[in-house]
Amino acid sequence: MTKRSHDDDVEFIKALAELLSDNDLSELQVKRDYPEEGSLNVRVSRMATAPVAVQMAAPAPPAPVAAPAAVAPSDAGPSEASDPATLPGAVTSPMVGTVYLSAEPDAPPFVKVGDTISAGDTLLIIEAMKTMNQIPAPTSGTVKRILVEDGAPVEFGAPLMVVE
Amino acid sequence: MVTWPDGVDLITLEEVSSTMVEAANRAPSLTKPTWIMARRQTAARGRRGRTWQNPEGNLAATLVFKPDASPQEAALRAFTASLALYSALAERVSAEELALKWPNDVLLSGRKIAGILLESAGTTGRIDWLAIGIGVNVTTCPEADADASFAPVSLADIGCHDSADALLTRLAHHMELWETTLVTQGFAPVRAAWLARAAKIGEAITARTTHDEFSGIFEKIDETGQLVLSTPKGQVVVPAGDVFF
Repeated sequence: MTKRSHDDDVEFIKALAELLSDNDLSELQVKRDYPEEGSLNVRVSRMATAPVAVQMAAPAPPAPVAAPAAVAPSDAGPSEASDPATLPGAVTSPMVGTVYLSAEPDAPPFVKVGDTISAGDTLLIIEAMKTMNQIPAPTSGTVKRILVEDGAPVEFGAPLMVVE
Repeated sequence: MVTWPDGVDLITLEEVSSTMVEAANRAPSLTKPTWIMARRQTAARGRRGRTWQNPEGNLAATLVFKPDASPQEAALRAFTASLALYSALAERVSAEELALKWPNDVLLSGRKIAGILLESAGTTGRIDWLAIGIGVNVTTCPEADADASFAPVSLADIGCHDSADALLTRLAHHMELWETTLVTQGFAPVRAAWLARAAKIGEAITARTTHDEFSGIFEKIDETGQLVLSTPKGQVVVPAGDVFF
């Protein structure tokens, strides 16, 4: 049994949400490690349609591994407008793999929200079996949303970015 | 005597930043599968920006071509490329000294003889091009990298006197054979051949992914090339990561 309670986690997340709102931040991500009890990953975001995302990692490796969807499950928000994958301008993953938002670990990201980009510009890389697949922008436009995190696993069809 | 494969071009350059950069730049205008070989690379690199030391005399070459493939199918070239390099090396060194490590490493006497890096581009569900970069320590063993999990070794270190040009001809030949096998017969025979040459099947290995580490018995690779480990908690399937043992 876990020693920390569900309520503690909820309090923790609430505190983060207040921090986010008080400081006018758009997104905040925290990882809390509990000795022998795994860890709690929290990302709170104020993007219009993004729910509070909570991922609980078990202390032992989960198995069998189905790569979790990179985008937070939206069961927290019945008012969720739509699946980002269906948004016009959504760029979806053509493969299962690991996302990289920059060319190498310490390099700046390929694109940031608000960047103006041309069709063919590299948006990100998805790696599968050491094959680095560059995902080019399908159209010219502005990066409206980035829906995946660096290093996150993605499934086929997962929404990656919104470019309009 | 192995000869250069028909229908495949070779461009030999004295010096480039990286044969991968050269491949990406030239890819749109190429009409045939093309090997780009450089005598010197000024900015050789490995996966995720890792540096790759490429002393003159060692092989540095990239095959760039346009397979009709999804990104997932393109990624299966990790296996054909490592098999081709294994075959090219096995003509000069004892196959007993060679082993494959998931997904695309070739080990010689348990050490790193080569590096393979694959890059592709495309959004539409089919790739526009695929580049397979291969560096082989032919004459010179690079300095050991503190972060590297496998010590480097060169062919010369074990008394094998090969040349980059001769090795590339054999490599191009075997790459063509394995590519044909994959395209005409699918992944099954490639997978079987790869498993037959893999190190540590049925033994304990560790796979490190971006956020996790899994230790278990190396059971197999599945039909899509993913690593399958048998752990006390059950089967773990790893789509991407680094393997240690």
